Amino acid sequence: MKAFTYLTPSSTAEAVGLLDEYAPHARVIAGGQTLLLAMKTRAERPGVLVSLAGIADLAGLRVADSGELVIGATTTYAALTRATLTGWHARISAVAGNLADRPVRTMGTIGGALCAADPRFDMLTLVTGTGGRLDVLAPSGVRTLMPQEFFRPGGGISLAPNEILASIRFPAADAYTSVTFEKFRQRTFDAAVASVLCAVRVDDAGRLDVIRVAVGAVSPTPVLAERTTADLTGSPVAAVDPDGTARQVVAEVFTGHGDTPDEQYRRELVKALARRALRNALFPPRS
Amino acid sequence: MQDVTMTVNGREVSARIDERTLLLEFIRDIAGLTGTHNGCLEARCGCCSVEVDGSIVKSCNVLALQANGKSVTTIEGLSPQRLRPAEHITSQSLAGMYEPLDVLGADAGDLHPVQNAFHKCHALQCGFCTPGMVMVLKNYLEENPDPTRDDIRTAIAGNLCRCTGYQHIIDAGMQAAKQLRDDSMQLHDA
Repeated sequence: MKAFTYLTPSSTAEAVGLLDEYAPHARVIAGGQTLLLAMKTRAERPGVLVSLAGIADLAGLRVADSGELVIGATTTYAALTRATLTGWHARISAVAGNLADRPVRTMGTIGGALCAADPRFDMLTLVTGTGGRLDVLAPSGVRTLMPQEFFRPGGGISLAPNEILASIRFPAADAYTSVTFEKFRQRTFDAAVASVLCAVRVDDAGRLDVIRVAVGAVSPTPVLAERTTADLTGSPVAAVDPDGTARQVVAEVFTGHGDTPDEQYRRELVKALARRALRNALFPPRS
Repeated sequence: MQDVTMTVNGREVSARIDERTLLLEFIRDIAGLTGTHNGCLEARCGCCSVEVDGSIVKSCNVLALQANGKSVTTIEGLSPQRLRPAEHITSQSLAGMYEPLDVLGADAGDLHPVQNAFHKCHALQCGFCTPGMVMVLKNYLEENPDPTRDDIRTAIAGNLCRCTGYQHIIDAGMQAAKQLRDDSMQLHDA
Protein backbone atom coordinates (compact mmCIF):
# COMPACT_ATOMS: atom_id res chain seq x y z
CA MET A 1 0.00 0.00 0.00
CA LYS A 2 1.29 3.47 -0.84
CA ALA A 3 1.28 6.06 1.94
CA PHE A 4 -1.79 8.26 2.16
CA THR A 5 -3.41 10.87 4.36
CA TYR A 6 -6.67 9.86 6.02
CA LEU A 7 -9.34 12.53 6.39
CA THR A 8 -12.63 12.18 8.25
CA PRO A 9 -15.10 14.90 7.28
CA SER A 10 -18.30 15.08 9.31
CA SER A 11 -20.57 16.56 6.65
CA THR A 12 -21.13 16.01 2.94
CA ALA A 13 -20.24 19.64 2.21
CA GLU A 14 -16.91 19.20 3.97
CA ALA A 15 -16.27 15.93 2.11
CA VAL A 16 -16.96 17.49 -1.28
CA GLY A 17 -14.73 20.42 -0.31
CA LEU A 18 -11.87 18.08 0.60
CA LEU A 19 -12.26 16.11 -2.62
CA ASP A 20 -12.28 19.35 -4.58
CA GLU A 21 -9.12 20.47 -2.78
CA TYR A 22 -7.18 17.23 -3.23
CA ALA A 23 -8.55 16.00 -6.58
CA PRO A 24 -7.37 14.05 -8.51
CA HIS A 25 -5.24 12.32 -5.83
CA ALA A 26 -8.09 11.83 -3.37
CA ARG A 27 -10.37 8.84 -3.20
CA VAL A 28 -13.53 8.32 -1.22
CA ILE A 29 -13.53 5.38 1.18
CA ALA A 30 -16.84 4.02 2.47
CA GLY A 31 -16.39 0.46 3.79
CA GLY A 32 -13.17 -0.03 1.88
CA GLN A 33 -13.82 -3.67 1.03
CA THR A 34 -12.94 -3.19 -2.65
CA LEU A 35 -10.67 -0.16 -2.39
CA LEU A 36 -8.33 -1.58 0.28
CA LEU A 37 -7.79 -4.76 -1.74
CA ALA A 38 -6.91 -2.63 -4.77
CA MET A 39 -4.60 -0.46 -2.65
CA LYS A 40 -2.75 -3.50 -1.32
CA THR A 41 -1.85 -4.54 -4.88
CA ARG A 42 -1.17 -0.88 -5.71
CA ALA A 43 -3.78 -0.99 -8.44
CA GLU A 44 -5.07 2.09 -6.61
CA ARG A 45 -2.63 4.55 -5.04
CA PRO A 46 -4.56 7.51 -3.68
CA GLY A 47 -2.57 10.15 -1.82
CA VAL A 48 -5.59 11.13 0.24
CA LEU A 49 -8.46 9.00 1.52
CA VAL A 50 -11.66 10.83 2.40
CA SER A 51 -13.71 8.62 4.71
CA LEU A 52 -17.49 8.91 4.53
CA ALA A 53 -18.01 6.81 7.66
CA GLY A 54 -18.49 9.83 9.92
CA ILE A 55 -21.24 11.42 7.83
CA ALA A 56 -24.56 10.39 9.35
CA ASP A 57 -26.64 11.77 6.43
CA LEU A 58 -25.16 9.25 4.03
CA ALA A 59 -26.26 6.09 5.84
CA GLY A 60 -29.72 4.66 6.34
CA LEU A 61 -32.97 4.09 4.50
CA ARG A 62 -36.09 6.19 4.17
CA VAL A 63 -39.21 6.18 2.07
CA ALA A 64 -39.68 9.52 0.28
CA ASP A 65 -43.08 11.21 -0.11
CA SER A 66 -43.11 9.96 -3.69
CA GLY A 67 -42.91 6.39 -2.39
CA GLU A 68 -39.34 5.98 -3.62
CA LEU A 69 -36.99 4.08 -1.33
CA VAL A 70 -33.96 6.28 -0.72
CA ILE A 71 -30.90 4.35 0.44
CA GLY A 72 -27.87 6.29 1.66
CA ALA A 73 -24.70 5.38 -0.20
CA THR A 74 -22.81 4.26 2.90
CA THR A 75 -25.60 1.92 4.04
CA THR A 76 -23.92 -1.44 4.57
CA TYR A 77 -25.11 -4.74 3.15
CA ALA A 78 -25.64 -5.88 6.73
CA ALA A 79 -28.01 -2.95 7.38
CA LEU A 80 -29.87 -3.64 4.12
CA THR A 81 -30.19 -7.30 5.09
CA ARG A 82 -31.67 -6.42 8.48
CA ALA A 83 -34.06 -3.76 7.12
CA THR A 84 -37.75 -4.61 7.04
CA LEU A 85 -38.87 -3.61 3.58
CA THR A 86 -42.23 -4.11 1.91
CA GLY A 87 -43.27 -5.17 -1.58
CA TRP A 88 -40.53 -5.69 -4.12
CA HIS A 89 -38.12 -3.74 -1.89
CA ALA A 90 -37.73 -6.94 0.14
CA ARG A 91 -35.74 -8.22 -2.85
CA ILE A 92 -33.09 -5.56 -2.14
CA SER A 93 -32.63 -7.04 1.33
CA ALA A 94 -32.51 -10.55 -0.06
CA VAL A 95 -29.87 -9.68 -2.66
CA ALA A 96 -27.76 -7.76 -0.13
CA GLY A 97 -27.90 -10.70 2.28
CA ASN A 98 -26.72 -13.23 -0.28
CA LEU A 99 -23.44 -11.82 -1.55
CA ALA A 100 -19.81 -11.97 -0.44
CA ASP A 101 -19.72 -13.28 3.14
CA ARG A 102 -20.91 -12.22 6.56
CA PRO A 103 -17.85 -10.17 7.67
CA VAL A 104 -17.58 -8.44 4.30
CA ARG A 105 -21.29 -7.52 4.42
CA THR A 106 -20.65 -5.73 7.73
CA MET A 107 -18.29 -3.26 6.05
CA GLY A 108 -19.32 -3.31 2.38
CA THR A 109 -21.70 -0.58 1.28
CA ILE A 110 -24.17 -0.26 -1.58
CA GLY A 111 -22.57 2.98 -2.75
CA GLY A 112 -19.09 1.51 -2.54
CA ALA A 113 -20.09 -1.37 -4.79
CA LEU A 114 -21.71 0.96 -7.31
CA CYS A 115 -18.70 3.30 -7.40
CA ALA A 116 -16.26 0.39 -7.67
CA ALA A 117 -18.47 -0.52 -10.66
CA ASP A 118 -17.21 -4.09 -10.91
CA PRO A 119 -19.83 -5.58 -13.26
CA ARG A 120 -19.80 -8.81 -11.23
CA PHE A 121 -21.25 -7.00 -8.22
CA ASP A 122 -24.96 -7.67 -7.69
CA MET A 123 -25.80 -4.07 -6.79
CA LEU A 124 -25.03 -2.91 -10.33
CA THR A 125 -27.48 -5.37 -11.84
CA LEU A 126 -30.04 -4.52 -9.15
CA VAL A 127 -29.90 -0.76 -9.74
CA THR A 128 -29.85 -1.08 -13.54
CA GLY A 129 -32.62 -3.66 -13.64
CA THR A 130 -35.02 -1.88 -11.31
CA GLY A 131 -34.30 1.58 -12.74
CA GLY A 132 -32.89 3.02 -9.54
CA ARG A 133 -31.63 6.59 -9.80
CA LEU A 134 -28.42 7.90 -8.30
CA ASP A 135 -28.06 11.21 -6.43
CA VAL A 136 -24.61 12.66 -6.95
CA LEU A 137 -23.21 15.52 -4.86
CA ALA A 138 -20.89 17.93 -6.63
CA PRO A 139 -19.43 21.24 -5.44
CA SER A 140 -22.06 22.93 -7.61
CA GLY A 141 -25.02 20.98 -6.20
CA VAL A 142 -26.93 17.73 -6.56
CA ARG A 143 -27.60 15.93 -9.82
CA THR A 144 -29.61 12.76 -10.26
CA LEU A 145 -28.42 10.21 -12.80
CA MET A 146 -29.98 7.17 -14.39
CA PRO A 147 -27.84 4.00 -14.17
CA GLN A 148 -27.11 4.29 -17.92
CA GLU A 149 -25.60 7.73 -17.25
CA PHE A 150 -23.84 6.75 -14.03
CA PHE A 151 -22.07 3.70 -15.47
CA ARG A 152 -19.86 4.29 -18.48
CA PRO A 153 -20.63 1.88 -21.35
CA GLY A 154 -17.01 0.71 -21.38
CA GLY A 155 -16.89 0.24 -17.59
CA GLY A 156 -16.30 2.58 -14.66
CA ILE A 157 -18.45 5.50 -13.58
CA SER A 158 -19.00 9.00 -14.88
CA LEU A 159 -18.37 10.82 -11.58
CA ALA A 160 -15.80 13.60 -11.49
CA PRO A 161 -13.02 13.26 -8.87
CA ASN A 162 -14.74 15.85 -6.68
CA GLU A 163 -18.18 14.25 -6.72
CA ILE A 164 -19.77 11.84 -4.23
CA LEU A 165 -22.55 9.33 -4.71
CA ALA A 166 -24.94 10.32 -1.91
CA SER A 167 -27.95 8.04 -2.27
CA ILE A 168 -29.78 5.60 -4.48
CA ARG A 169 -33.49 6.09 -5.22
CA PHE A 170 -35.38 2.90 -5.97
CA PRO A 171 -38.88 3.09 -7.51
CA ALA A 172 -41.83 2.84 -5.09
CA ALA A 173 -42.86 -0.49 -3.57
CA ASP A 174 -45.86 -0.65 -5.94
CA ALA A 175 -43.78 0.04 -9.06
CA TYR A 176 -43.32 -3.69 -9.60
CA THR A 177 -45.46 -6.62 -8.60
CA SER A 178 -42.46 -8.91 -8.65
CA VAL A 179 -38.68 -8.61 -8.86
CA THR A 180 -36.51 -11.70 -9.17
CA PHE A 181 -32.75 -12.00 -9.14
CA GLU A 182 -30.74 -15.00 -10.22
CA LYS A 183 -26.98 -15.35 -10.27
CA PHE A 184 -24.28 -17.95 -10.62
CA ARG A 185 -21.01 -17.90 -8.70
CA GLN A 186 -18.29 -20.47 -8.23
CA ARG A 187 -18.20 -20.34 -4.45
CA THR A 188 -20.68 -18.76 -2.04
CA PHE A 189 -18.47 -15.76 -1.31
CA ASP A 190 -17.43 -15.13 -4.92
CA ALA A 191 -18.76 -12.35 -7.11
CA ALA A 192 -21.20 -13.45 -9.81
CA VAL A 193 -20.08 -15.05 -13.06
CA ALA A 194 -23.44 -13.96 -14.48
CA SER A 195 -26.52 -12.39 -12.95
CA VAL A 196 -30.01 -11.63 -14.24
CA LEU A 197 -32.67 -9.41 -12.74
CA CYS A 198 -36.28 -9.42 -13.90
CA ALA A 199 -38.77 -6.78 -12.73
CA VAL A 200 -42.43 -6.92 -13.75
CA ARG A 201 -45.65 -5.13 -13.03
CA VAL A 202 -48.79 -7.01 -13.91
CA ASP A 203 -52.07 -5.09 -14.11
CA ASP A 204 -55.44 -6.28 -12.78
CA ALA A 205 -56.31 -7.78 -16.16
CA GLY A 206 -53.22 -9.98 -16.05
CA ARG A 207 -51.29 -7.99 -18.65
CA LEU A 208 -47.66 -7.00 -18.43
CA ASP A 209 -47.61 -3.30 -17.64
CA VAL A 210 -43.86 -3.18 -17.17
CA ILE A 211 -41.15 -5.73 -17.77
CA ARG A 212 -37.43 -5.12 -17.40
CA VAL A 213 -34.62 -7.61 -17.70
CA ALA A 214 -31.02 -6.72 -16.82
CA VAL A 215 -27.97 -8.92 -17.30
CA GLY A 216 -24.84 -8.34 -15.22
CA ALA A 217 -21.25 -9.56 -15.09
CA VAL A 218 -20.98 -10.49 -18.77
CA SER A 219 -20.09 -7.03 -20.09
CA PRO A 220 -18.23 -3.99 -18.66
CA THR A 221 -21.51 -2.58 -17.39
CA PRO A 222 -24.93 -4.21 -16.80
CA VAL A 223 -27.15 -4.35 -19.88
CA LEU A 224 -30.91 -3.91 -20.12
CA ALA A 225 -32.52 -6.22 -22.68
CA GLU A 226 -34.80 -3.42 -23.86
CA ARG A 227 -35.64 -4.72 -27.34
CA THR A 228 -36.76 -8.06 -25.97
CA THR A 229 -38.90 -6.58 -23.21
CA ALA A 230 -40.42 -3.84 -25.43
CA ASP A 231 -42.12 -6.57 -27.50
CA LEU A 232 -43.65 -8.11 -24.39
CA THR A 233 -45.11 -4.99 -22.77
CA GLY A 234 -48.90 -5.11 -22.86
CA SER A 235 -49.17 -8.80 -23.62
CA PRO A 236 -50.98 -11.18 -21.25
CA VAL A 237 -48.67 -12.83 -18.74
CA ALA A 238 -49.97 -16.27 -19.68
CA ALA A 239 -48.79 -15.72 -23.26
CA VAL A 240 -45.14 -15.14 -22.30
CA ASP A 241 -42.79 -18.05 -22.89
CA PRO A 242 -39.88 -17.75 -20.40
CA ASP A 243 -37.78 -20.15 -22.45
CA GLY A 244 -38.13 -18.28 -25.73
CA THR A 245 -37.74 -14.89 -24.02
CA ALA A 246 -34.56 -16.07 -22.30
CA ARG A 247 -33.14 -17.01 -25.71
CA GLN A 248 -34.04 -13.56 -27.06
CA VAL A 249 -32.33 -11.94 -24.05
CA VAL A 250 -29.15 -13.87 -24.81
CA ALA A 251 -29.30 -12.86 -28.48
CA GLU A 252 -29.74 -9.21 -27.49
CA VAL A 253 -27.10 -9.06 -24.77
CA PHE A 254 -24.35 -11.02 -26.51
CA THR A 255 -23.84 -8.92 -29.59
CA GLY A 256 -20.53 -10.41 -30.69
CA HIS A 257 -20.18 -13.72 -32.45
CA GLY A 258 -17.61 -15.04 -30.00
CA ASP A 259 -17.54 -18.77 -29.96
CA THR A 260 -14.85 -19.51 -27.41
CA PRO A 261 -15.77 -22.02 -24.67
CA ASP A 262 -15.87 -19.13 -22.19
CA GLU A 263 -18.42 -17.19 -24.21
CA GLN A 264 -20.51 -20.27 -24.90
CA TYR A 265 -20.49 -20.97 -21.18
CA ARG A 266 -21.66 -17.45 -20.32
CA ARG A 267 -24.40 -17.55 -22.95
CA GLU A 268 -25.72 -20.84 -21.58
CA LEU A 269 -25.53 -19.46 -18.04
CA VAL A 270 -27.43 -16.29 -18.90
CA LYS A 271 -30.05 -18.31 -20.78
CA ALA A 272 -30.66 -20.54 -17.76
CA LEU A 273 -30.62 -17.66 -15.28
CA ALA A 274 -32.92 -15.49 -17.42
CA ARG A 275 -35.37 -18.36 -17.86
CA ARG A 276 -35.43 -18.90 -14.10
CA ALA A 277 -35.78 -15.18 -13.33
CA LEU A 278 -38.57 -14.73 -15.87
CA ARG A 279 -40.45 -17.83 -14.75
CA ASN A 280 -40.29 -16.88 -11.08
CA ALA A 281 -41.30 -13.27 -11.78
CA LEU A 282 -44.19 -14.12 -14.10
CA PHE A 283 -45.39 -17.35 -12.54
CA PRO A 284 -44.34 -17.14 -8.89
CA PRO A 285 -44.34 -20.51 -7.17
CA ARG A 286 -47.29 -20.69 -4.78
CA SER A 287 -46.13 -20.70 -1.20
CA MET B 1 1.16 9.25 11.36
CA GLN B 2 -2.10 9.53 13.21
CA ASP B 3 -3.30 8.84 16.75
CA VAL B 4 -5.75 6.01 17.25
CA THR B 5 -7.53 4.82 20.35
CA MET B 6 -9.74 1.78 20.55
CA THR B 7 -10.98 -0.61 23.18
CA VAL B 8 -9.67 -4.11 22.64
CA ASN B 9 -11.38 -6.73 24.81
CA GLY B 10 -12.28 -4.04 27.33
CA ARG B 11 -8.77 -2.57 27.49
CA GLU B 12 -8.15 0.85 25.98
CA VAL B 13 -5.24 0.83 23.54
CA SER B 14 -3.81 4.05 22.09
CA ALA B 15 -1.00 4.42 19.61
CA ARG B 16 0.41 6.72 16.98
CA ILE B 17 0.32 4.64 13.83
CA ASP B 18 1.04 4.80 10.13
CA GLU B 19 -2.24 5.37 8.24
CA ARG B 20 -1.67 2.11 6.38
CA THR B 21 -1.83 0.01 9.56
CA LEU B 22 -4.54 -2.60 9.21
CA LEU B 23 -6.81 -3.40 12.12
CA LEU B 24 -5.24 -6.87 12.10
CA GLU B 25 -1.76 -5.39 12.52
CA PHE B 26 -3.00 -3.09 15.28
CA ILE B 27 -4.47 -6.03 17.20
CA ARG B 28 -1.43 -8.29 16.80
CA ASP B 29 1.49 -5.87 16.96
CA ILE B 30 0.21 -3.01 19.08
CA ALA B 31 -2.42 -4.58 21.33
CA GLY B 32 -0.22 -7.70 21.45
CA LEU B 33 -3.04 -10.19 20.95
CA THR B 34 -1.83 -12.82 18.54
CA GLY B 35 -4.91 -15.05 18.65
CA THR B 36 -6.24 -13.19 15.61
CA HIS B 37 -4.44 -14.84 12.72
CA ASN B 38 -3.00 -13.36 9.57
CA GLY B 39 -3.98 -15.86 6.90
CA CYS B 40 -4.34 -14.42 3.42
CA LEU B 41 -4.38 -10.66 3.96
CA GLU B 42 -6.92 -10.32 1.17
CA ALA B 43 -10.25 -10.85 2.95
CA ARG B 44 -10.72 -14.40 1.74
CA CYS B 45 -9.75 -16.84 4.47
CA GLY B 46 -11.49 -15.23 7.45
CA CYS B 47 -8.78 -16.23 9.97
CA CYS B 48 -8.55 -12.58 11.08
CA SER B 49 -12.27 -12.14 11.86
CA VAL B 50 -12.98 -9.98 14.91
CA GLU B 51 -15.97 -8.05 16.17
CA VAL B 52 -16.03 -4.26 15.93
CA ASP B 53 -18.86 -2.76 17.97
CA GLY B 54 -20.57 -6.15 17.89
CA SER B 55 -20.37 -6.63 14.12
CA ILE B 56 -18.05 -9.18 12.59
CA VAL B 57 -15.35 -7.93 10.19
CA LYS B 58 -12.25 -9.30 8.51
CA SER B 59 -9.60 -7.25 10.27
CA CYS B 60 -7.10 -7.62 7.40
CA ASN B 61 -9.36 -5.56 5.17
CA VAL B 62 -10.15 -2.75 7.59
CA LEU B 63 -7.80 0.10 8.43
CA ALA B 64 -7.08 0.58 12.11
CA LEU B 65 -8.22 4.17 11.47
CA GLN B 66 -11.64 2.88 10.46
CA ALA B 67 -11.98 1.32 13.92
CA ASN B 68 -10.80 4.46 15.73
CA GLY B 69 -12.86 5.01 18.88
CA LYS B 70 -14.62 1.67 18.53
CA SER B 71 -14.73 -1.43 20.66
CA VAL B 72 -13.02 -4.53 19.32
CA THR B 73 -13.53 -8.08 20.56
CA THR B 74 -10.99 -10.71 19.56
CA ILE B 75 -10.85 -14.43 20.24
CA GLU B 76 -9.03 -13.68 23.50
CA GLY B 77 -12.05 -11.69 24.64
CA LEU B 78 -14.44 -14.63 24.51
CA SER B 79 -13.50 -16.30 27.78
CA PRO B 80 -11.96 -14.46 30.71
CA GLN B 81 -9.42 -17.13 31.63
CA ARG B 82 -5.73 -16.87 30.89
CA LEU B 83 -4.18 -19.99 29.50
CA ARG B 84 -0.93 -21.19 31.04
CA PRO B 85 1.93 -21.22 28.54
CA ALA B 86 2.16 -24.78 27.30
CA GLU B 87 5.42 -24.91 25.42
CA HIS B 88 6.11 -28.52 26.30
CA ILE B 89 3.07 -29.78 24.39
CA THR B 90 3.66 -31.52 21.09
CA SER B 91 0.97 -32.73 18.76
CA GLN B 92 1.92 -36.29 19.67
CA SER B 93 1.55 -35.71 23.38
CA LEU B 94 -1.69 -33.79 22.81
CA ALA B 95 -3.11 -36.66 20.79
CA GLY B 96 -2.40 -39.07 23.63
CA MET B 97 -3.85 -36.84 26.30
CA TYR B 98 -7.20 -37.57 27.77
CA GLU B 99 -7.93 -33.97 28.80
CA PRO B 100 -5.72 -31.57 26.87
CA LEU B 101 -7.40 -28.60 28.56
CA ASP B 102 -5.94 -29.73 31.91
CA VAL B 103 -2.44 -29.21 30.60
CA LEU B 104 -3.34 -25.71 29.47
CA GLY B 105 -4.69 -24.91 32.91
CA ALA B 106 -8.07 -24.27 31.33
CA ASP B 107 -11.50 -25.27 32.49
CA ALA B 108 -14.12 -26.23 29.91
CA GLY B 109 -16.75 -24.55 32.07
CA ASP B 110 -15.06 -21.17 31.57
CA LEU B 111 -14.97 -21.45 27.80
CA HIS B 112 -17.40 -19.61 25.58
CA PRO B 113 -20.07 -22.07 24.33
CA VAL B 114 -18.60 -21.93 20.81
CA GLN B 115 -15.09 -22.62 22.11
CA ASN B 116 -16.43 -25.43 24.27
CA ALA B 117 -18.26 -26.96 21.30
CA PHE B 118 -15.09 -26.78 19.18
CA HIS B 119 -13.28 -28.63 21.97
CA LYS B 120 -15.97 -31.28 22.40
CA CYS B 121 -16.53 -31.88 18.69
CA HIS B 122 -12.85 -31.80 17.79
CA ALA B 123 -13.59 -29.02 15.34
CA LEU B 124 -9.97 -28.09 14.81
CA GLN B 125 -7.05 -29.88 13.29
CA CYS B 126 -4.15 -27.49 12.86
CA GLY B 127 -6.19 -24.73 14.51
CA PHE B 128 -5.05 -21.89 12.29
CA CYS B 129 -8.53 -20.99 11.02
CA THR B 130 -10.15 -21.60 14.41
CA PRO B 131 -10.10 -18.05 15.85
CA GLY B 132 -11.91 -16.75 12.76
CA MET B 133 -14.36 -19.65 12.67
CA VAL B 134 -15.19 -19.19 16.35
CA MET B 135 -15.67 -15.43 16.05
CA VAL B 136 -17.90 -15.68 12.96
CA LEU B 137 -19.98 -18.48 14.48
CA LYS B 138 -20.35 -16.60 17.77
CA ASN B 139 -21.52 -13.52 15.91
CA TYR B 140 -23.89 -15.55 13.72
CA LEU B 141 -25.39 -17.66 16.51
CA GLU B 142 -26.17 -14.55 18.54
CA GLU B 143 -28.32 -13.42 15.61
CA ASN B 144 -29.78 -16.84 14.79
CA PRO B 145 -29.66 -19.25 17.74
CA ASP B 146 -31.67 -21.91 15.91
CA PRO B 147 -29.80 -22.56 12.66
CA THR B 148 -29.84 -25.50 10.27
CA ARG B 149 -26.59 -27.11 9.14
CA ASP B 150 -26.97 -25.26 5.83
CA ASP B 151 -27.33 -21.94 7.67
CA ILE B 152 -24.03 -22.61 9.42
CA ARG B 153 -22.36 -23.55 6.15
CA THR B 154 -23.50 -20.24 4.68
CA ALA B 155 -22.45 -18.30 7.79
CA ILE B 156 -18.87 -19.58 7.55
CA ALA B 157 -18.72 -19.28 3.76
CA GLY B 158 -16.04 -16.61 4.18
CA ASN B 159 -13.82 -18.80 6.36
CA LEU B 160 -11.45 -21.30 4.83
CA CYS B 161 -10.13 -24.36 6.65
CA ARG B 162 -7.19 -25.81 4.77
CA CYS B 163 -7.42 -29.00 6.80
CA THR B 164 -10.92 -29.17 5.26
CA GLY B 165 -12.36 -30.11 8.62
CA TYR B 166 -15.67 -28.49 7.88
CA GLN B 167 -17.96 -31.31 9.02
CA HIS B 168 -16.75 -31.11 12.60
CA ILE B 169 -16.87 -27.33 12.54
CA ILE B 170 -20.52 -27.51 11.51
CA ASP B 171 -21.13 -30.13 14.23
CA ALA B 172 -19.59 -27.68 16.70
CA GLY B 173 -21.75 -24.85 15.39
CA MET B 174 -24.89 -26.93 15.91
CA GLN B 175 -23.80 -27.98 19.40
CA ALA B 176 -22.87 -24.41 20.37
CA ALA B 177 -26.26 -23.21 19.15
CA LYS B 178 -27.95 -25.80 21.35
CA GLN B 179 -25.90 -24.78 24.36
CA LEU B 180 -26.61 -21.09 23.76
CA ARG B 181 -30.34 -21.89 23.53
CA ASP B 182 -30.21 -23.95 26.73
CA ASP B 183 -28.26 -21.21 28.51
CA SER B 184 -30.79 -18.55 27.55
CA MET B 185 -33.66 -20.84 28.67
CA GLN B 186 -31.98 -21.20 32.04
CA LEU B 187 -31.59 -17.44 32.25
CA HIS B 188 -35.31 -17.04 31.62
CA ASP B 189 -36.21 -19.71 34.16
CA ALA B 190 -34.02 -18.23 36.84
